[in-house]
Amino acid sequence: MKSLPIVLCCFLCAMLSHGQEKFLTKQGYTSFFSSSPVEDIKADNNQVLSIIETSTGTIAIAILMKSFLFEKSLMQEHFNENYIESDKYPKATFKGQILNFGALDQNEQMVTVQGDLTIHGVTKKMKTQAKISKTEESISLKGSFPVKVADYDIKIPSVVMNNIAETIEVTFKLDHQPYKK
Amino acid sequence: MTKKGRITIIISMLVIALVVVFINAAIYNKPHTNVSESSPNVSLASNTLLEEFENDEIRANSKYLEQIIQVTGIISALNTANGNGIVTLSGESATGSVMCHLSPEENKKMSALKKGQNVVIKGICTGYLMDVILIKCVIVN
Repeated sequence: MKSLPIVLCCFLCAMLSHGQEKFLTKQGYTSFFSSSPVEDIKADNNQVLSIIETSTGTIAIAILMKSFLFEKSLMQEHFNENYIESDKYPKATFKGQILNFGALDQNEQMVTVQGDLTIHGVTKKMKTQAKISKTEESISLKGSFPVKVADYDIKIPSVVMNNIAETIEVTFKLDHQPYKK
Repeated sequence: MTKKGRITIIISMLVIALVVVFINAAIYNKPHTNVSESSPNVSLASNTLLEEFENDEIRANSKYLEQIIQVTGIISALNTANGNGIVTLSGESATGSVMCHLSPEENKKMSALKKGQNVVIKGICTGYLMDVILIKCVIVN
């Protein structure tokens, strides 16, 4: 009967780890696109960290601002130094919930994701639709949503006002894998 | 004013305007930092870099962000995402690592790398999430 506590312990651990199963990606993709009469600006980021907790449908995303790559290095410099102030605010984060996560089957379908988006030190509630496909081995989440530059207290100098759109389209593609540790 | 004087003024104004246009174009089209041709600002072991970020992220950010960093470490994983190679250098701590996202030109060198091998890689540091991230990486050795 000596082994009973050990067996119990193992059982408990198994239950705990099952209850807190995480899916994760460290190579998520995010881009943003600004379209104005003067020029189109696009930046890509392939180093997005995203974690989904499958028991609750909670999702947490962290994005490094300096990881956004622009076509022109001058745009990247302006973005980091003047607009997003990435030395002060090096990350953008999203913490939220995939609604009705538990009810999902293996088919690709639309879900609502809602939560708090923090950019440039400003946190705003947001809600968007995303395409999800969930299997035993992966959870993929794709979608896009608009972000109003002014909402996040990002100041665009009047000189380049015509070059940058007031609303920027953010696209994301996150392929999560089970997290084993 | 003489006719000659007026022509000189017009020509010099044109020259100035041209120079301004060229300088603007040069600034606007300023190239990205070329990692393979630049010498690193710092050289250190991947473990040391990771430890500094784990201990004091804010300090490490101000020290390393946007710098070309050359790290030496042991490969713990090799992956590709969206067609680009990622070399993970393991740390002594259980959770973190240094993730080196290779520049597209370096992808073909991926096949020569093996897990457990010691490598020297340089790249631009963009910050720390669960791991320290280096982008546009070039394999040095």
